[in-house]
Amino acid sequence: MNEQVPPALAGIHAWAERIEFSPFGLAIAESRYAFAIIEGMHLIGLAVAVGLLFTVDLRLLGATLRDVPVERVLHQLRPWVIGGFIVIFVTGALLFWSAAGRLVLSPAFPLKLLLMLLAGANALWFEFVVVRSEALRGNPQRLPRAVRVAGLASISLWSLVIVFGRLIPYLPSWYPSSGT
Amino acid sequence: MSLQSLFGGLQDTALAHLVSKSNHLVGAGLQVVHIFGFVLLLAALVLVCLRLLGWVLSEQPLPRVVGAARRLFRVGMVLAIVSGTLIFIATARLYLSNWAFGLKLALFAAALVAQITLLRPILKHEQPPKARARLAVLVSVVLWFGIGFAGRLIAFV
Repeated sequence: MNEQVPPALAGIHAWAERIEFSPFGLAIAESRYAFAIIEGMHLIGLAVAVGLLFTVDLRLLGATLRDVPVERVLHQLRPWVIGGFIVIFVTGALLFWSAAGRLVLSPAFPLKLLLMLLAGANALWFEFVVVRSEALRGNPQRLPRAVRVAGLASISLWSLVIVFGRLIPYLPSWYPSSGT
Repeated sequence: MSLQSLFGGLQDTALAHLVSKSNHLVGAGLQVVHIFGFVLLLAALVLVCLRLLGWVLSEQPLPRVVGAARRLFRVGMVLAIVSGTLIFIATARLYLSNWAFGLKLALFAAALVAQITLLRPILKHEQPPKARARLAVLVSVVLWFGIGFAGRLIAFV
Protein backbone atom coordinates (compact mmCIF):
# COMPACT_ATOMS: atom_id res chain seq x y z
CA MET A 1 0.00 0.00 0.00
CA ASN A 2 2.49 2.61 1.17
CA GLU A 3 5.40 1.98 -1.13
CA GLN A 4 5.49 5.74 -1.81
CA VAL A 5 6.83 6.95 1.53
CA PRO A 6 9.17 9.93 1.06
CA PRO A 7 12.50 9.20 2.81
CA ALA A 8 12.11 12.29 4.99
CA LEU A 9 8.82 10.91 6.35
CA ALA A 10 9.99 7.32 6.91
CA GLY A 11 10.53 7.77 10.65
CA ILE A 12 7.26 9.53 11.36
CA HIS A 13 5.40 7.10 9.10
CA ALA A 14 6.75 4.10 11.05
CA TRP A 15 5.64 5.78 14.29
CA ALA A 16 2.20 6.56 12.81
CA GLU A 17 1.74 2.96 11.68
CA ARG A 18 2.51 1.72 15.18
CA ILE A 19 -0.31 3.95 16.46
CA GLU A 20 -2.69 2.91 13.69
CA PHE A 21 -2.01 -0.80 14.21
CA SER A 22 -2.41 -0.60 17.98
CA PRO A 23 -5.43 -2.56 19.27
CA PHE A 24 -7.50 0.61 19.80
CA GLY A 25 -6.62 2.09 16.40
CA LEU A 26 -7.54 -1.17 14.69
CA ALA A 27 -10.77 -1.44 16.69
CA ILE A 28 -11.97 1.92 15.29
CA ALA A 29 -10.78 1.21 11.77
CA GLU A 30 -12.31 -2.26 11.64
CA SER A 31 -15.66 -1.41 13.18
CA ARG A 32 -18.27 -1.03 10.48
CA TYR A 33 -19.56 2.41 11.53
CA ALA A 34 -17.27 3.72 14.28
CA PHE A 35 -15.05 5.72 11.92
CA ALA A 36 -18.06 7.23 10.10
CA ILE A 37 -19.82 8.13 13.36
CA ILE A 38 -16.68 9.75 14.80
CA GLU A 39 -16.27 11.69 11.55
CA GLY A 40 -19.90 12.79 11.85
CA MET A 41 -19.23 14.09 15.38
CA HIS A 42 -16.07 15.81 14.13
CA LEU A 43 -18.19 17.57 11.49
CA ILE A 44 -20.95 18.61 13.93
CA GLY A 45 -18.37 19.90 16.44
CA LEU A 46 -16.74 21.83 13.61
CA ALA A 47 -20.02 23.40 12.53
CA VAL A 48 -20.85 24.46 16.11
CA ALA A 49 -17.39 25.65 17.20
CA VAL A 50 -15.97 27.17 14.03
CA GLY A 51 -19.41 28.27 12.85
CA LEU A 52 -20.07 30.23 16.05
CA LEU A 53 -16.47 31.48 15.98
CA PHE A 54 -17.19 32.87 12.48
CA THR A 55 -20.11 34.79 14.05
CA VAL A 56 -17.70 36.27 16.61
CA ASP A 57 -15.17 37.09 13.86
CA LEU A 58 -17.84 38.76 11.73
CA ARG A 59 -18.76 40.88 14.77
CA LEU A 60 -15.08 41.86 15.19
CA LEU A 61 -15.14 42.94 11.54
CA GLY A 62 -18.32 44.93 12.15
CA ALA A 63 -20.28 42.78 9.70
CA THR A 64 -22.94 41.39 12.03
CA LEU A 65 -24.71 42.12 15.37
CA ARG A 66 -23.35 45.69 15.31
CA ASP A 67 -25.78 46.73 18.07
CA VAL A 68 -24.38 44.16 20.49
CA PRO A 69 -21.11 45.07 22.29
CA VAL A 70 -18.20 42.84 21.24
CA GLU A 71 -17.45 41.86 24.84
CA ARG A 72 -21.03 40.65 25.22
CA VAL A 73 -20.80 38.47 22.06
CA LEU A 74 -17.42 37.10 23.18
CA HIS A 75 -18.56 36.34 26.71
CA GLN A 76 -21.79 34.66 25.60
CA LEU A 77 -20.47 32.51 22.77
CA ARG A 78 -17.08 31.56 24.24
CA PRO A 79 -18.27 28.50 26.25
CA TRP A 80 -20.04 27.07 23.18
CA VAL A 81 -17.04 27.63 20.95
CA ILE A 82 -14.71 26.00 23.51
CA GLY A 83 -17.16 23.10 24.05
CA GLY A 84 -17.31 22.49 20.31
CA PHE A 85 -13.52 22.60 20.06
CA ILE A 86 -13.22 19.95 22.78
CA VAL A 87 -15.48 17.68 20.68
CA ILE A 88 -13.39 18.39 17.55
CA PHE A 89 -10.09 17.66 19.30
CA VAL A 90 -11.25 14.44 20.95
CA THR A 91 -12.85 13.08 17.76
CA GLY A 92 -9.91 14.32 15.70
CA ALA A 93 -7.50 12.42 17.97
CA LEU A 94 -9.59 9.25 17.57
CA LEU A 95 -9.65 9.64 13.78
CA PHE A 96 -5.87 10.10 13.77
CA TRP A 97 -5.44 7.04 15.98
CA SER A 98 -7.24 4.83 13.45
CA ALA A 99 -5.73 6.31 10.26
CA ALA A 100 -2.37 7.75 11.33
CA GLY A 101 -0.32 5.95 8.68
CA ARG A 102 -2.07 7.45 5.67
CA LEU A 103 -2.70 10.83 7.38
CA VAL A 104 0.99 11.61 7.86
CA LEU A 105 1.61 10.89 4.17
CA SER A 106 -0.92 13.49 2.96
CA PRO A 107 0.55 16.97 2.38
CA ALA A 108 -2.83 18.42 3.40
CA PHE A 109 -2.49 17.03 6.95
CA PRO A 110 0.68 18.84 8.14
CA LEU A 111 -0.63 22.01 6.45
CA LYS A 112 -3.86 21.67 8.40
CA LEU A 113 -1.90 21.26 11.67
CA LEU A 114 0.29 24.28 10.88
CA LEU A 115 -2.76 26.44 10.12
CA MET A 116 -4.39 25.26 13.37
CA LEU A 117 -1.28 26.35 15.27
CA LEU A 118 -1.40 29.78 13.63
CA ALA A 119 -5.14 30.10 14.30
CA GLY A 120 -4.55 29.08 17.93
CA ALA A 121 -1.75 31.61 18.31
CA ASN A 122 -4.02 34.31 16.86
CA ALA A 123 -6.78 33.37 19.33
CA LEU A 124 -4.35 33.52 22.27
CA TRP A 125 -2.99 36.90 21.12
CA PHE A 126 -6.54 38.21 20.78
CA GLU A 127 -7.76 36.88 24.15
CA PHE A 128 -4.71 37.75 26.23
CA VAL A 129 -3.37 40.89 24.56
CA VAL A 130 -6.09 42.61 22.54
CA VAL A 131 -9.10 41.95 24.82
CA ARG A 132 -7.09 42.94 27.92
CA SER A 133 -5.92 46.18 26.34
CA GLU A 134 -8.16 49.22 26.02
CA ALA A 135 -9.26 48.13 22.56
CA LEU A 136 -12.82 47.16 23.44
CA ARG A 137 -13.52 49.71 26.21
CA GLY A 138 -16.63 51.78 25.77
CA ASN A 139 -17.94 49.67 22.87
CA PRO A 140 -16.51 51.85 20.06
CA GLN A 141 -18.53 52.02 16.85
CA ARG A 142 -15.46 51.51 14.67
CA LEU A 143 -13.34 48.83 16.24
CA PRO A 144 -9.55 49.32 16.53
CA ARG A 145 -7.33 47.86 13.85
CA ALA A 146 -5.95 45.08 16.07
CA VAL A 147 -9.46 43.78 16.72
CA ARG A 148 -10.35 43.72 13.03
CA VAL A 149 -7.03 42.09 12.12
CA ALA A 150 -7.64 39.34 14.70
CA GLY A 151 -11.14 38.74 13.30
CA LEU A 152 -9.92 38.57 9.72
CA ALA A 153 -7.01 36.30 10.64
CA SER A 154 -9.31 33.97 12.56
CA ILE A 155 -11.90 33.64 9.80
CA SER A 156 -9.20 33.14 7.13
CA LEU A 157 -7.08 30.63 9.07
CA TRP A 158 -9.98 28.48 10.25
CA SER A 159 -11.43 28.50 6.72
CA LEU A 160 -8.11 27.16 5.43
CA VAL A 161 -8.08 24.53 8.20
CA ILE A 162 -11.44 23.30 6.88
CA VAL A 163 -10.21 23.39 3.27
CA PHE A 164 -7.10 21.32 3.98
CA GLY A 165 -9.00 18.99 6.30
CA ARG A 166 -11.44 18.15 3.53
CA LEU A 167 -8.60 17.83 0.99
CA ILE A 168 -6.80 15.09 2.98
CA PRO A 169 -8.44 12.19 1.08
CA TYR A 170 -7.93 14.00 -2.24
CA LEU A 171 -4.21 14.63 -1.67
CA PRO A 172 -3.05 11.26 -0.31
CA SER A 173 0.63 11.65 -1.17
CA TRP A 174 3.43 14.13 -1.88
CA TYR A 175 3.98 12.33 -5.16
CA PRO A 176 1.66 12.99 -8.13
CA SER A 177 -0.71 10.06 -8.58
CA SER A 178 0.08 7.71 -11.43
CA GLY A 179 -2.83 6.60 -13.59
CA THR A 180 -6.44 7.97 -13.67
CA MET B 1 -40.05 7.31 -15.31
CA SER B 2 -38.21 5.04 -12.91
CA LEU B 3 -35.80 6.44 -10.36
CA GLN B 4 -33.05 4.54 -12.12
CA SER B 5 -33.63 6.19 -15.49
CA LEU B 6 -34.08 9.59 -13.81
CA PHE B 7 -30.73 9.30 -11.98
CA GLY B 8 -29.10 7.92 -15.13
CA GLY B 9 -30.52 10.78 -17.20
CA LEU B 10 -29.18 13.33 -14.70
CA GLN B 11 -25.74 11.77 -14.84
CA ASP B 12 -25.76 11.99 -18.65
CA THR B 13 -26.48 15.74 -18.80
CA ALA B 14 -23.79 18.08 -20.11
CA LEU B 15 -23.50 19.75 -16.70
CA ALA B 16 -22.92 16.41 -14.98
CA HIS B 17 -20.27 15.49 -17.54
CA LEU B 18 -18.58 18.85 -17.00
CA VAL B 19 -18.06 17.90 -13.32
CA SER B 20 -17.35 14.19 -13.69
CA LYS B 21 -14.87 14.56 -16.56
CA SER B 22 -12.95 17.40 -14.93
CA ASN B 23 -9.85 17.11 -12.74
CA HIS B 24 -10.54 15.31 -9.45
CA LEU B 25 -9.66 18.50 -7.59
CA VAL B 26 -12.85 20.07 -9.01
CA GLY B 27 -14.76 17.40 -7.12
CA ALA B 28 -12.64 18.14 -4.05
CA GLY B 29 -13.39 21.86 -4.43
CA LEU B 30 -17.12 21.12 -4.53
CA GLN B 31 -16.76 19.06 -1.34
CA VAL B 32 -15.01 22.00 0.34
CA VAL B 33 -17.81 24.39 -0.70
CA HIS B 34 -20.41 21.87 0.51
CA ILE B 35 -18.79 21.72 3.97
CA PHE B 36 -18.59 25.51 4.18
CA GLY B 37 -22.26 25.80 3.31
CA PHE B 38 -23.11 23.28 6.01
CA VAL B 39 -20.91 25.00 8.63
CA LEU B 40 -22.48 28.40 7.93
CA LEU B 41 -26.07 27.23 7.95
CA LEU B 42 -25.62 25.05 11.01
CA ALA B 43 -23.85 27.88 12.89
CA ALA B 44 -26.76 30.21 12.10
CA LEU B 45 -29.26 27.59 13.22
CA VAL B 46 -27.35 26.86 16.46
CA LEU B 47 -27.11 30.59 17.24
CA VAL B 48 -30.87 31.03 16.84
CA CYS B 49 -31.60 27.86 18.83
CA LEU B 50 -29.33 28.95 21.72
CA ARG B 51 -31.06 32.34 21.76
CA LEU B 52 -34.52 30.70 21.68
CA LEU B 53 -33.58 28.63 24.72
CA GLY B 54 -32.32 31.80 26.42
CA TRP B 55 -28.83 30.33 26.75
CA VAL B 56 -26.99 33.10 24.85
CA LEU B 57 -27.67 36.78 24.20
CA SER B 58 -30.94 36.51 26.14
CA GLU B 59 -30.99 40.28 26.75
CA GLN B 60 -30.99 40.89 23.00
CA PRO B 61 -34.36 41.04 21.21
CA LEU B 62 -35.01 37.83 19.28
CA PRO B 63 -35.53 39.60 15.91
CA ARG B 64 -32.05 41.13 16.16
CA VAL B 65 -30.35 37.73 16.59
CA VAL B 66 -32.57 36.14 13.93
CA GLY B 67 -31.74 38.97 11.52
CA ALA B 68 -28.00 38.39 11.99
CA ALA B 69 -28.36 34.62 11.58
CA ARG B 70 -30.67 34.76 8.57
CA ARG B 71 -28.04 36.05 6.14
CA LEU B 72 -25.54 33.42 7.26
CA PHE B 73 -28.19 30.72 6.95
CA ARG B 74 -29.17 31.76 3.42
CA VAL B 75 -25.59 31.98 2.18
CA GLY B 76 -24.86 28.56 3.71
CA MET B 77 -27.99 27.03 2.23
CA VAL B 78 -27.25 28.28 -1.30
CA LEU B 79 -23.62 27.06 -1.13
CA ALA B 80 -24.64 23.64 0.22
CA ILE B 81 -27.48 23.10 -2.27
CA VAL B 82 -25.58 24.21 -5.38
CA SER B 83 -22.42 22.23 -4.54
CA GLY B 84 -24.45 19.25 -3.33
CA THR B 85 -26.47 19.14 -6.55
CA LEU B 86 -23.30 19.21 -8.68
CA ILE B 87 -21.64 16.48 -6.57
CA PHE B 88 -24.79 14.38 -6.86
CA ILE B 89 -25.43 14.63 -10.62
CA ALA B 90 -21.79 13.85 -11.48
CA THR B 91 -22.24 10.26 -10.23
CA ALA B 92 -26.01 10.08 -9.76
CA ARG B 93 -26.27 6.31 -10.46
CA LEU B 94 -23.91 5.55 -7.57
CA TYR B 95 -26.25 7.26 -5.11
CA LEU B 96 -29.28 5.22 -6.14
CA SER B 97 -28.26 2.22 -4.04
CA ASN B 98 -26.79 4.24 -1.16
CA TRP B 99 -29.18 4.16 1.79
CA ALA B 100 -27.30 6.92 3.64
CA PHE B 101 -27.94 9.26 0.71
CA GLY B 102 -31.66 8.43 0.80
CA LEU B 103 -31.66 9.04 4.55
CA LYS B 104 -29.90 12.37 4.11
CA LEU B 105 -32.46 13.54 1.53
CA ALA B 106 -35.37 12.40 3.72
CA LEU B 107 -33.92 14.24 6.74
CA PHE B 108 -33.33 17.33 4.58
CA ALA B 109 -36.96 17.28 3.41
CA ALA B 110 -38.10 16.86 7.03
CA ALA B 111 -35.81 19.71 8.14
CA LEU B 112 -37.34 22.05 5.53
CA VAL B 113 -40.86 21.10 6.66
CA ALA B 114 -39.86 21.67 10.30
CA GLN B 115 -38.33 25.01 9.37
CA ILE B 116 -41.55 26.22 7.76
CA THR B 117 -44.06 24.75 10.20
CA LEU B 118 -42.22 24.90 13.54
CA LEU B 119 -39.27 27.27 13.61
CA ARG B 120 -40.33 30.12 11.35
CA PRO B 121 -43.70 30.83 13.05
CA ILE B 122 -41.94 31.01 16.43
CA LEU B 123 -39.28 33.44 15.26
CA LYS B 124 -41.99 36.01 14.49
CA HIS B 125 -42.70 36.43 18.22
CA GLU B 126 -40.71 38.79 20.45
CA GLN B 127 -41.34 36.35 23.33
CA PRO B 128 -42.12 32.93 21.85
CA PRO B 129 -43.97 30.43 24.03
CA LYS B 130 -41.30 28.39 25.84
CA ALA B 131 -42.65 24.90 25.21
CA ARG B 132 -43.09 25.46 21.48
CA ALA B 133 -39.65 27.06 21.25
CA ARG B 134 -38.05 24.03 22.93
CA LEU B 135 -39.87 21.63 20.62
CA ALA B 136 -38.77 23.58 17.53
CA VAL B 137 -35.15 23.66 18.74
CA LEU B 138 -35.12 19.94 19.52
CA VAL B 139 -36.62 18.92 16.18
CA SER B 140 -34.40 21.27 14.13
CA VAL B 141 -31.17 20.29 15.89
CA VAL B 142 -31.89 16.55 15.65
CA LEU B 143 -32.75 16.79 11.95
CA TRP B 144 -29.79 18.99 10.95
CA PHE B 145 -27.27 17.01 13.00
CA GLY B 146 -28.77 13.90 11.42
CA ILE B 147 -28.17 15.38 7.97
CA GLY B 148 -24.50 15.87 8.89
CA PHE B 149 -24.15 12.26 10.10
CA ALA B 150 -26.01 10.79 7.14
CA GLY B 151 -23.84 12.87 4.80
CA ARG B 152 -20.65 11.46 6.31
CA LEU B 153 -22.08 7.93 6.17
CA ILE B 154 -22.59 8.13 2.38
CA ALA B 155 -18.91 7.42 1.82
CA PHE B 156 -18.99 4.34 4.09
CA VAL B 157 -22.05 2.33 3.05
